[in-house]
Amino acid sequence: MNAILLSAVWGIVMMFSGIFTTSKTAIRNVAVVGLVLLVLGNYADMIGYHLMTVNVHKMLYFDTFGLLGNLIAFGSTLLYVLLSGRDMEKVGHHLAEYFALIFFVLCGVAIVTTFNTLLMLFLGIEIISIPLYILTGADKRNLKSNEASLKYFLMGAFSTGLMLLGIAFLYGATQTGTFFIDDLWSGKTAVTPLFMAGLLLLLVSMAFKVSAAPFHFWTPDVYDGAPTVFTSFMATIVKVSIFVGFIRLFDEAFGDSQEKWQVFVAIIAAATLFIGNVTAVFQQSVKRMLAYSSIAQAGFMLLALLALNGVAKEGIILYAAAYSIATIGIFAVLIRMKDYTFEGFNGLARQQPVLAATCTIFLLSLAGIPLTGGFFAKYYMLSSVVATGHYLWLVIFAVLCAAVSVYYYFRVIQAMYFKDGDGATEAEPGLGFKGLLVVLAVIVVVLGVWPQSLLGQLSRLIYTW
Amino acid sequence: MIPVLLIVIPLVSGLLGFFLRSEKTARGWALLSSLVTLAVTLWGVGVDKTSPLLQANVEWLPDLGSRFAVGLDGLSLILSLLTAVSFPLIFIATWRDQYKRAWNFYALMLLSQAGLLGVFVATDALLFYFFWELALIPVYFLCSQWGGERRIAATFKFFVYTFVGSLLMLVGIIWLYFHTPDHSFSMESFYKLRSTISNSDQTWVFWLLFVAFAIKMPIWPLHTWQPDTYEQSPTATTMVLSAIMVKMGVFGVIRWLAPVLPIGTWAWGDTVSVACIIGMVYASLIAMKQDDLKRLVAYSSIAHVGLMALAIFATDQSGMQGVMIQMFNHGINILGMWIVVDLIERQFGTRKISQLGGLATKAPGLAILLVIVALANVALPLTNAFVGEFLLFSGVFTSTATQYNVVFTAVAMLSVILSAVYTLKMIQGVFYGKTNALTEKAVDIRLNEKVALGVIVVMIVFIGVYPKPVLELTKDAADFILTKMNYK
Amino acid sequence: MNQIPLSHILFVSTALFFIGMYGLFTRRNMITMLMAVELILNSVNINFIAFNKYLYPEKLEGVFFSLFIIAIAAAEAAVAIAIIINLYRNLHSIDVEAADEMKF
Repeated sequence: MNAILLSAVWGIVMMFSGIFTTSKTAIRNVAVVGLVLLVLGNYADMIGYHLMTVNVHKMLYFDTFGLLGNLIAFGSTLLYVLLSGRDMEKVGHHLAEYFALIFFVLCGVAIVTTFNTLLMLFLGIEIISIPLYILTGADKRNLKSNEASLKYFLMGAFSTGLMLLGIAFLYGATQTGTFFIDDLWSGKTAVTPLFMAGLLLLLVSMAFKVSAAPFHFWTPDVYDGAPTVFTSFMATIVKVSIFVGFIRLFDEAFGDSQEKWQVFVAIIAAATLFIGNVTAVFQQSVKRMLAYSSIAQAGFMLLALLALNGVAKEGIILYAAAYSIATIGIFAVLIRMKDYTFEGFNGLARQQPVLAATCTIFLLSLAGIPLTGGFFAKYYMLSSVVATGHYLWLVIFAVLCAAVSVYYYFRVIQAMYFKDGDGATEAEPGLGFKGLLVVLAVIVVVLGVWPQSLLGQLSRLIYTW
Repeated sequence: MIPVLLIVIPLVSGLLGFFLRSEKTARGWALLSSLVTLAVTLWGVGVDKTSPLLQANVEWLPDLGSRFAVGLDGLSLILSLLTAVSFPLIFIATWRDQYKRAWNFYALMLLSQAGLLGVFVATDALLFYFFWELALIPVYFLCSQWGGERRIAATFKFFVYTFVGSLLMLVGIIWLYFHTPDHSFSMESFYKLRSTISNSDQTWVFWLLFVAFAIKMPIWPLHTWQPDTYEQSPTATTMVLSAIMVKMGVFGVIRWLAPVLPIGTWAWGDTVSVACIIGMVYASLIAMKQDDLKRLVAYSSIAHVGLMALAIFATDQSGMQGVMIQMFNHGINILGMWIVVDLIERQFGTRKISQLGGLATKAPGLAILLVIVALANVALPLTNAFVGEFLLFSGVFTSTATQYNVVFTAVAMLSVILSAVYTLKMIQGVFYGKTNALTEKAVDIRLNEKVALGVIVVMIVFIGVYPKPVLELTKDAADFILTKMNYK
Repeated sequence: MNQIPLSHILFVSTALFFIGMYGLFTRRNMITMLMAVELILNSVNINFIAFNKYLYPEKLEGVFFSLFIIAIAAAEAAVAIAIIINLYRNLHSIDVEAADEMKF
């Protein structure tokens, strides 16, 4: 509850801070303070200290899984704002509003990760989506940005329509006449065709939101058109948070009818992995490549949805952290580049050794090489499916796709290290920026050597309060 | 304690190496570090087999059932010894090679050593996989940064090949992990699997693991990355690749495949053996046609490794021991070959046999050393490889795991004859015959190369004449593996 | 009481949903597309209220849900209109075909 309150209140604070001060540094600092408060507030929630006791009538349920998801989302946002906050100034004049919108998105995130009724899921998704439409179109003079925003809106609204229809069907199918997700369990609700239709519509609409194939087609354009700072935010924090909600929904609501929908998830996952990885190979722009790579990574995260066991839930948290941090890091470097194509990275190692080295670690993590967080993230995903005892073909397919992903991730490494060029950044990055990148890289490596540092200690803290 | 040191010393010194800023210091630092590693390895060889110094087992990932477990038995000792001996020799032999930003080069070399030693000492499957991949990354950077003209494409092919293999292996390891009774990655748990996994499961899981090892060795038809990569890599890295890295594949089969899935290994033994034999003959024939020295040695390496793989699947005592010794011998011999190739290339700027000739009169010292190394490569008596290959052949011949043992032996023998042909042809082309304009101004070898080649020759002859210490080192390990490989 | 059966009402709402979907995919005028989206959302509203009335007459959950949908739809429309106006300023057209900066 703390997180929802704080993020909503701080969103308003941010809006007003734009009135009271014109200093961009001050606005940024207010945002950083807000994010720190948010992280602390969420942490306080985890250890049992609540700002106020609100009777939510079971519409929200604050469990470890959701709160951990929150913590990762807020923590990544904090890192993201510290790294790329300065670059938001280049998008437009309304810095305070951008931050306000980000806080509203985080409010939606906090709802999506802890919802307990379908109503809350719908509200959370919409609270995430509507500010994102605005952020996507934030670069008002840029036609690409406007167009991306329109596309995002149309696709988003359409998938919301599908989701609502699904919810309506499920509402008709339950015998209780409520929206609580545990009322959808068997015993309370029969698996009728109406129920299955609702379930599949929800699956499709959530697949839209996490850009899983074949519902991914809006993603590359929107990610490409949006201002790069906000692409970074959308592709990481928002995406993994919706994933946490996705898994929560299917685990809590449809966990017992798993064998009926598992095959659909398997097909979606296979298609996502294939399309994401193969299309990414053909991209010329690193930004677009990262858009497809985010589709490919979503394919891996779908494996957790397929398996839905303890390993999967633990793994998705780790995946969320490893993927978000690595991608935020790469985007932070990308924003500073003059040229977004692969050639633009040529010879970066010569010019900016720190940027190149940290970028390499992030890319290795995305490719899933050991000693980086990405390896254990992928390891958890794979082993969660192997643990179910079925769908081994999907696991093998997934690792083959992971091998394909090496091609486009390593193209950036090859450009940075082995090709000659002037791979220039727009301005000499500051010491703080470099330091933060190193911190991110260290986090990625720590997650790769000792993932229990995140999972074990956090869950221990939570269970002992 | 000792295995941990073996990983930590090169790892730490490698990481520190990135911060050095002078070529000379970096080179000296690398040599020093590798000598310390060698000393520690010799200490490990010296202590009693049952000593607790040879084991270490620390909590790592309790929730995943994985521990930081490392240990040295006969098998890992001999390979660690090979690694530890090779690196100082490589550094000495390539002492005069110039590299841009040499500190990075030497640091990455040390990191690859750490990865390799990690592979050999790990007794936990997940840890093994960890090091398996880690050994690859520095080598990728080494080859792509300092290699020949087509280096980026060639190295990338190599990387993708091995990465596909290792990912499949990861799936295999995870699958096996979920079938261990205590959900653990430890070697003991994996060795207990043989009784719990059904025969049909063993036969297909075998391939998940085997593909990774087969690519690394490499076994025909998965070898196509190898000649390109060897040709395009800087010589020092080629030495690491061919002397040590191919042994990762052989080692993987002996430690993580054959004892874990004995039925699967036995069931596919004939298939794999046929692939090995085809590869041996095929590689030897291609080697005969090669004009480029590097490619010649690369193909000869495929042939030699094929023989080792063949002997593993023969499941025979002398064959298994032969494999362990031959891994060491082959590493040493091919190191010698590469040093000579490197010398020739640096002096004359070419590796084409057709452009060389008459070196024996101009560089007698080099000629003598090369001839000894080359004869060892052909496995002439009194050289180390003779001991190894003799055991290998007798193992294959007396094998009871296959009914085609005689055919296998006969065809494999053919490849040995072929290897004599191409090796002698090479010696003749390079050292005898007329000198030409290029080789006229040849000078004899210098001190650092003399030292490196001298040490190698001493080892070749010593093991060739008195193989007993090496045999004793590996005997227990070979017997242990064979009891686990019992498919009946 | 001679009630209209539930299936009839569901038929109407489904028809509306697909009309909206058809409009969204065939119209090229941005405002019309926005209207199509509204149509989709409102068809779901009918669904919710029909289910509530016929299946759970003693409860009000479905009605409340449709209230939320109306509120959210209004917010969405506001944002959408802003986006469209912005595009119009740049393109001087509200035809989606004019916005073709990015191709798949």
